[in-house]
Amino acid sequence: MPAAPGGAIVRRMTSTSASAPVLRPALQEIVGALTWRRTTVAAGLAVLVAALLNPVFTIPFWVLLGRTVFIAVLLLIAFAAAGTWHPRRIPRWLAQVLAVVIAAPIATLLAYMPSIDGNLTNLLSSEGRVMGFVYITTTVLMIAPLLALGALYRERDAQARAALLGFALERSTLEKEALDSRLKLLQAQIEPHFLFNTLANVQALVESGSPQAAPVLKSLIAYLRAAMPRLHAGASTLGNEIALVRSYLELMQMRMPDRLAFAVDVPADIAAREFLPMSVLTLVENAVRHGIDPSENGGRIDISARREADGSIRVIVADTGAGMNPSALPGTGLTNLESRLRGFFGAAARLELHEARPHGLSAEIVFPAQAPSDAPTAPPGARP
Amino acid sequence: MTAATALIADDEPLLRERLRAHLARLWPELEIVAEARNGREAIELFETHLPRIAFLDVHMPGLNGIDAARAIARRAELVFVTAHENYAVQAFEHGAIDYVIKPFEEARLADSVTRLKSRLAAPQPLSADFETVLDRLAGELKARAGAEGRKYLQWIRASVAASVRLIPVEQIAFLRSDEKYTLVVWEGGEALIRTPIRELVEQLDPDTFAQIHRSVIVNLRQVAQIDRGFNDTAEVRLKNRREVLPVSRSFLHVFRQM
Repeated sequence: MPAAPGGAIVRRMTSTSASAPVLRPALQEIVGALTWRRTTVAAGLAVLVAALLNPVFTIPFWVLLGRTVFIAVLLLIAFAAAGTWHPRRIPRWLAQVLAVVIAAPIATLLAYMPSIDGNLTNLLSSEGRVMGFVYITTTVLMIAPLLALGALYRERDAQARAALLGFALERSTLEKEALDSRLKLLQAQIEPHFLFNTLANVQALVESGSPQAAPVLKSLIAYLRAAMPRLHAGASTLGNEIALVRSYLELMQMRMPDRLAFAVDVPADIAAREFLPMSVLTLVENAVRHGIDPSENGGRIDISARREADGSIRVIVADTGAGMNPSALPGTGLTNLESRLRGFFGAAARLELHEARPHGLSAEIVFPAQAPSDAPTAPPGARP
Repeated sequence: MTAATALIADDEPLLRERLRAHLARLWPELEIVAEARNGREAIELFETHLPRIAFLDVHMPGLNGIDAARAIARRAELVFVTAHENYAVQAFEHGAIDYVIKPFEEARLADSVTRLKSRLAAPQPLSADFETVLDRLAGELKARAGAEGRKYLQWIRASVAASVRLIPVEQIAFLRSDEKYTLVVWEGGEALIRTPIRELVEQLDPDTFAQIHRSVIVNLRQVAQIDRGFNDTAEVRLKNRREVLPVSRSFLHVFRQM
């Protein structure tokens, strides 16, 4: 008779490692399901049943005990085997309980085989044996399915706990990712190549006495102030973020006036919302680096925001540049952004990348309309 | 002596102007015969004007300054102009190739001008490994651009509603062939693509994606559990999803103990 599982049947892959979960050969799996605990409970019950039935039986106690132990072992094996090879259409728990119910009379019959010399008529001709068979089968049928259900209940419990642990692990992994991405953000935000090229341009403007020099320097200062690593980069508004993006784009436009055009269209009510700092900037920098800069003819960058039919808000950075190569690695900026978005706006926030026609990329941040403080700030632990 | 002529190539117009202005002051006789905005223009204009000197920005769209230099080769004196490309500067020093770092001091440019004048007066052969240095640099620049050298797909291009989405492969749960198409199922939804399973299995990183059935590829990172069924088959359950995927006998080895 089956007893509680030792968790051997439950193999949940909780780690995020890429290695394939291991599938053990079937026989090993069945043996694995025959835990000490199960075997002990089965043996104990066999002794108990034998003791209870002993007064009714005329045969010696040890023969009766031999039969009940034999039956218990067979039923335990049936239970384990059904757990491993259940037909696809039948749920595993039902297969296991049915296996025990069907195996009970067969196991009892087999237990009688030695005393009837394998001849069924010997069994049927003796009223005592028929009664014994009926007694044992009835007792087994009463106890075994209940035990099987008990074992399954415990197993489900263990599975639920494993799932919970899995979720907790996944959650902590996501939290770690969010932390990592914050750290990455703190490091090297300003690319030396960008900075020195921009300064070279400013130098050119200053030397030629261009009136453009002062506003360009203002943009550079605004950009540097925002992009400088800060420890307490909390919430900002979308409006602030757009102002930063404008500074950046003005600098880039000074550098490549013939190759870059841009426009910003963000409604005031959306601009006032709390927003994840350095998020739109990441998309715009990506658009310049992978879309405009590699293209001889350059292109446009359009930044817009709108409210969707379902109430969520969509912030769009669309470029008409070179577009994304399908085997190009998503720069750390982009991969980080998705986990940062979830950390800030909750699990429903996401980053979508759409290909633009005839070429270019549209990167879109979508987040639920309620304030970030209402949304779960932790990464999604238990997505449905 | 033939006139000193030069080509300036830089994608940033202000920087072309600044270089031209400083050269005019340091070397009034030098004639700037052409200005190019990218490597392709630099090569075309070089062929048209055949100047004796080429000032080439390293980072330019399309063909870059190194590509242009490889085309010009030993037909002109080359000076690279670069902003903080350390790897390039190292290569130039190694190959004894002249360079100027942006933003440059006029004194630094003056040194280059002196060297150029003496070289034009008495041409000296370039260092023997000039081509090798440039070839290596060109390869490095391509790798940095990220366009090449990546073996596996990072994005799947799929039509969703009216738009073409780029789906990061790490978000994909599984791919399943569906008559003529392949169904892509990822965190954000489902889409049909035309690339067949047998082609995708070759393009995706085998450390993350495994074919488990004639018609199914699964992302191993998204597998939650494997249940063994009858007759050497199994089923795969995924994290946070309801779908159950079949594992056929011939692909069962994917999950065998390694």
